[in-house]
Amino acid sequence: MNAHLNLGPVLFNWSADTFRDFYFRMADEAPLETVFLGEVVCSKREPFFAPELPAIAERLTAAGKKVVFSTLALVMTKRERDMVQQLCEMDGVIVEANDISAVSYLQGRPHTIGPFVNIYNEGSLAVMEKQGATHISLPGELPRSSLQALAKTAKADLEVQAFGRQPLAVSARCYHARSHGLAKDSCQYVCAKDPDGMDLDTLDGDAFLAVNGIQTMSYTCANLIGELDDLQTIGIHHFRLSPHSCDMVDVTKTFEAVLKGQMETGEAVEKLNDLMDGLPFSNGYYYGQEGAKAKGMVEEFGL
Amino acid sequence: MSQAPKGPVAPLSPVLLAGLAVRPLPHQLLQPLLTTAIKQMQRQHPDVFERLTSVNSPRFLIDPVDLPFSFVMDTQPDHPSLELVKSDQNELEFHVRASVRGPLVLLIELLEGKIDGDALFFSRDLVIEGDTEAVLALRNAVDGADIQVHNDLLSLFGPLSKPVDLAAQVAGKLFNRFTRDLHILSSATLAPLQRKCDAQSAAIEDLEETVTALKKQLRRRSGKTT
Amino acid sequence: MKTQKLELVCPAGTPAALRAAVDAGADTVYCGFRDATNARNFPGLNFSRDELASGIDYAKAHGAQVLVALNTYPEAGNPAPWHQAVEDAADLGAHALIMADIGLLAYAAEKRPDTRRHLSVQASASNPAAINYYQETFDVKRVVLPRVLTVPEIKALNQEIDVETEVFVFGGLCVMAEGRCSLSSYATGQSPNINGVCSPASHVRYEDKGNKMVSKLGDFTINQFSQSEAAGYPTLCKGRFVTQDKASYLFEDPTSLNAAEFLPDLMEAGVTALKIEGRQRGKAYIAQVVAAFRKAADAAANNQPIPPLGLENITEGQRETTGAYNKRWQ
Repeated sequence: MNAHLNLGPVLFNWSADTFRDFYFRMADEAPLETVFLGEVVCSKREPFFAPELPAIAERLTAAGKKVVFSTLALVMTKRERDMVQQLCEMDGVIVEANDISAVSYLQGRPHTIGPFVNIYNEGSLAVMEKQGATHISLPGELPRSSLQALAKTAKADLEVQAFGRQPLAVSARCYHARSHGLAKDSCQYVCAKDPDGMDLDTLDGDAFLAVNGIQTMSYTCANLIGELDDLQTIGIHHFRLSPHSCDMVDVTKTFEAVLKGQMETGEAVEKLNDLMDGLPFSNGYYYGQEGAKAKGMVEEFGL
Repeated sequence: MSQAPKGPVAPLSPVLLAGLAVRPLPHQLLQPLLTTAIKQMQRQHPDVFERLTSVNSPRFLIDPVDLPFSFVMDTQPDHPSLELVKSDQNELEFHVRASVRGPLVLLIELLEGKIDGDALFFSRDLVIEGDTEAVLALRNAVDGADIQVHNDLLSLFGPLSKPVDLAAQVAGKLFNRFTRDLHILSSATLAPLQRKCDAQSAAIEDLEETVTALKKQLRRRSGKTT
Repeated sequence: MKTQKLELVCPAGTPAALRAAVDAGADTVYCGFRDATNARNFPGLNFSRDELASGIDYAKAHGAQVLVALNTYPEAGNPAPWHQAVEDAADLGAHALIMADIGLLAYAAEKRPDTRRHLSVQASASNPAAINYYQETFDVKRVVLPRVLTVPEIKALNQEIDVETEVFVFGGLCVMAEGRCSLSSYATGQSPNINGVCSPASHVRYEDKGNKMVSKLGDFTINQFSQSEAAGYPTLCKGRFVTQDKASYLFEDPTSLNAAEFLPDLMEAGVTALKIEGRQRGKAYIAQVVAAFRKAADAAANNQPIPPLGLENITEGQRETTGAYNKRWQ
């Protein structure tokens, strides 16, 4: 099959043990091609799991998976800048740039571009390719028409997020801390309480968004399992699964089964619905509509 | 028709005029005046109507709640029109995309660009129904046109301009009272537009709280909220 | 290094607003074409080619310059409107083009190298390495800083870069990193990056529920107001939401940025230009705010205390914030 299942970086604040166990299991059991690894959301979380990274990378590599290190999405302080620069200048690793500072450090050698860098059109795609990008994970709000136009001219591999809560925004403010009446500087790492993000509802009690530290995400779980064939038709062959606390091995296997034609999409959607414990699905962006909407196969599993 | 006045003419200037002239001016006399004004507006400020083409040239109902009638404005750039309608007519007949209701004095402020886009919705006294985008476009379009209702009326009906017709002559005499009347209007009409039954509101509030709680419970049951 | 004079960069959504800004003392005025090529693509707003031409003439006759914002991300498969906008703005004599997209910057640098390029806030370049990248790759002359940096951070930044910096001092405040926010498109399908609109009026609804007014964006309630409260516009990130069973303005209170008190510090920090937000605001608003900041900027340049701005009527009902310039904001 000419389709590739990749695992995005863990976006949530998981304990070091959970983090390590998760990756070891994914290394051993999940049919993944590339695994993106590293802290993308909040630099304050990184020291906790950083010591685990070498062992995780080794285990993944040993299991035949390609490892790519992802950089921070919002780089502001000196410490964050140094963190990104050190990662980008490491020998023998492939790095995914999630902001322009990382792009600047990585240009001239093979690297990948993450979904937090704005590649909306052929012009920016061409610049990135010229600078050495070989794999580009596209922003979540791009509609099918844009994906198709990009795939027509792309030399790099293009990827879209096919599963998981959608990253919608980042901020200098930490909303997890703010919700607990804490300042960002003394946040007590309250984001660790919500392994899949903290629900944010409207005043009439409707589920709306999810808070993950400085990041705001969709309440819904993006799900393009019904669009996998169509995506390949327009030239997108890389699919990113974004980690959640559910059984991600099973999620990966479900996607693989559909890609291999071993499972009907309807059955797969039911299965993912069970795995995510009923969290509503969405795929509106793909259809050029509200990102919160669910169309096609997942329509009845929407908000 | 006589020479065109110097300054731009606001499409809603006649609204103000009507507000002042409501008793002495019968419908038959007012309508030609409205037509004259909108035609002058079209000639002098085609850009206002051109800007509204981006939202497909909507029809608006302008309803000064303190007057016994309203206006329907069609913003087609080639043939805009301003039509007087009675407040008790069935609004569905007007085929408008949006309606703006409020005390006359607020509608004038909107017209002069004194209420800006961000503030447009802040006022509870200005009620917008239908296509919000169309109303925002209207505000932006008139704001771009340097409209001054005072000056417009002066140029249209003041002593230096030739009166456009009999109706204008009558109206022109009323103009001297303009500032004073406006002041009176503004103090008299800023009361809340709608009074609501408190008991009913409280009941609705209770129900809504129940619904909100139920929605939450429903999600908890399916185990999504930790 | 201390800047001698702060350039005042003012918004204009219409030719009338442009004239108002110039008359009130703007050094430069920024505006956009009437389409999705700019991030204030609001109905009835912005400039036709002819209007921009006369606007530039008017500004130049009064010693001011016009900047053209082309700060959305061109649509894949449809670059022509953006490319044409670069060509037209350059032909009409725009002093600079304000852009965010890397592809468009590359186009402008190649095709119209003589027209200055400014990096839009929508590119959200918040650190020296990113800013230097835009300078080295596209010869950007100025960067509009994201509204996430404190004054000391701006000062440190200016010591590590060789381009001019422009900072927001007044108006609506984005609380998310600009150009990296899909909240609006999640709820409405329309995004700042693609469509040039955030929380668009086309998706706004007010529901009068008797005892309260509810403001909605798409299918989602953004806020509700009692009869005695003024109902605000439902900008998504300024809404009231519930987390952990508590309702709050979690992202940001409905405040408006006013950094007047920081002007001497910003000057000290090496900032070149002060930017006022609000191309969607009326000309009366613009005239008043620009005049006030003209006085304030001149006072700062002469080492005099910042005079009272007298903008209470404009910010009435809204709280003011000094935003991220103050570390406590985070």
